[in-house]
Amino acid sequence: MNQDSLVSSYAPPFKVIVKYFVASVLSFILLNFLLMINYSDVNGFHFQPKILAMTHIATLGWITMVIFGAMFQFVPIVLEVKLFSTLMAEIQFWIFILGIVGLVTGFWNFDTGIHLTASAILLNVAILIFSINIIVTMTKVKKWNITGLYLAASIFYLIVTGAAGLLLSINLGFPFIKINHLQYLNLHAHVAFIGWVSMVIMGVSFKIIPMFTLAHGYSEKSGKIAFWLINIGLLGISTVMHYENLTASFYISALFIVVGIFFFLYQMMVIFKSRLRKKSDIGIKFSKFAYTMLGITTLFGILITFTNLSNEMNVTLIYGYLIIFGYISMLTIGQLYKIMPFLVWYHKYSSKAGIEKVPMLKDMFKEKLAASGYYIMVVALAGVIFSFAFQIPDCLLISFTVMFVGSVIFLINFLYILFKA
Amino acid sequence: MSVNKEEILEVLKGVIDPEIGINIVDLGLVYDVRIVDKEIVIIMTLTTPGCPMHSSISEWVEKVISHLEPEATVHVNLVWEPRWTPELMSSEAKRELGY
Repeated sequence: MNQDSLVSSYAPPFKVIVKYFVASVLSFILLNFLLMINYSDVNGFHFQPKILAMTHIATLGWITMVIFGAMFQFVPIVLEVKLFSTLMAEIQFWIFILGIVGLVTGFWNFDTGIHLTASAILLNVAILIFSINIIVTMTKVKKWNITGLYLAASIFYLIVTGAAGLLLSINLGFPFIKINHLQYLNLHAHVAFIGWVSMVIMGVSFKIIPMFTLAHGYSEKSGKIAFWLINIGLLGISTVMHYENLTASFYISALFIVVGIFFFLYQMMVIFKSRLRKKSDIGIKFSKFAYTMLGITTLFGILITFTNLSNEMNVTLIYGYLIIFGYISMLTIGQLYKIMPFLVWYHKYSSKAGIEKVPMLKDMFKEKLAASGYYIMVVALAGVIFSFAFQIPDCLLISFTVMFVGSVIFLINFLYILFKA
Repeated sequence: MSVNKEEILEVLKGVIDPEIGINIVDLGLVYDVRIVDKEIVIIMTLTTPGCPMHSSISEWVEKVISHLEPEATVHVNLVWEPRWTPELMSSEAKRELGY
């Protein structure tokens, strides 16, 4: 096999991928800005227009957008196949953007009915284009590996999440779902976070964390066990939650997911233990924090599932904020600090390497600034959780502002990688 | 051809893995250099099969050697056996990585 062909011929052009990353990072900035100026609305019950709007800026604009870009890059490289269609990747981007803008404004003004449903349809069209593109790409795979398995499963959950979202959007205007709307929303959210987002995160982690930390000769057993446990659990809750009364099978399914997540975390520990690069750079630091937060959030999730805690003030908001910011955002930022410099470096400098002096990846951004951004975000996260728990609006405003500053620091470095490095 | 194995290894020290920051010779990735007439064959490996960052390395290897000896035909033979292990690194590289 000619390794040289991996990036140049399998992966789609840089400009296709980078568009997704730029849209994603700008969504993150917008999200933090909106949270800051609307802090007084982020309080109490989670089913509120502005909270729903901002949640979807986070999940669709920030998280799903970055995953789309990453998948277009990773699926061809990891599975050694060419992406089926870059044209589909282009078209899908604009439909998805249109869908997000429609859905977010629809939620913000609580314009249920055709506005919200049409936007949900656009999002589903984009999701289907993406899924077909990836599935057709995957049909050509000759050698499957654990990362490929996780990525393939994630597509299934993406489609389920999108379809459930569409049904929910219709149900807001024309109620037809027999079970409680919030229960169905709960299903939509968990399939999104565990099925779609986490499947990608886990699969990609197995590939790139060993690569970045130079980890070798470890067993992948826990990662495989995690895959089956989480999938059995997810299929379980997806079925059970369609019925009004949650039976014991719901709790058993939830338990499968929880145990699966801990198997995943154990696998990550095994990888980190066998790493040769003992010193963690900023990308790895963000990532390690995120994995820890995944563990903490999962424990918190158990508490909510098996007790009445979710009836307490702001508990659902704390849970959601921990998932989106503590776990997913920290991991995304960490991974972008690793992936973006590489993509830009490859694009700009790989033809000069070996002949001219070219920058190292760590010189592609301001590492000290990134490190200060890390601490700022950790402090902000703690501040937001504290403010929610003790219901202190002023403290919440300060914490959201600090998080906004953290996101701007990331944006500065992101732009530096793109244009200055 | 006037160039010898030592000289080739010396220029290969200019090929640096941009992620790790260590050159491929000290990383122990270069297994052998064979010079037959006007052909130079580099037998080497990568730390991880399928690593996107490492994918360009063979191209750079060809480039630096062609730069040193323009008349030579350079072939990079990527092998996965024997598999790279950290023990193959030079003591300097080991120190750098804290191994």
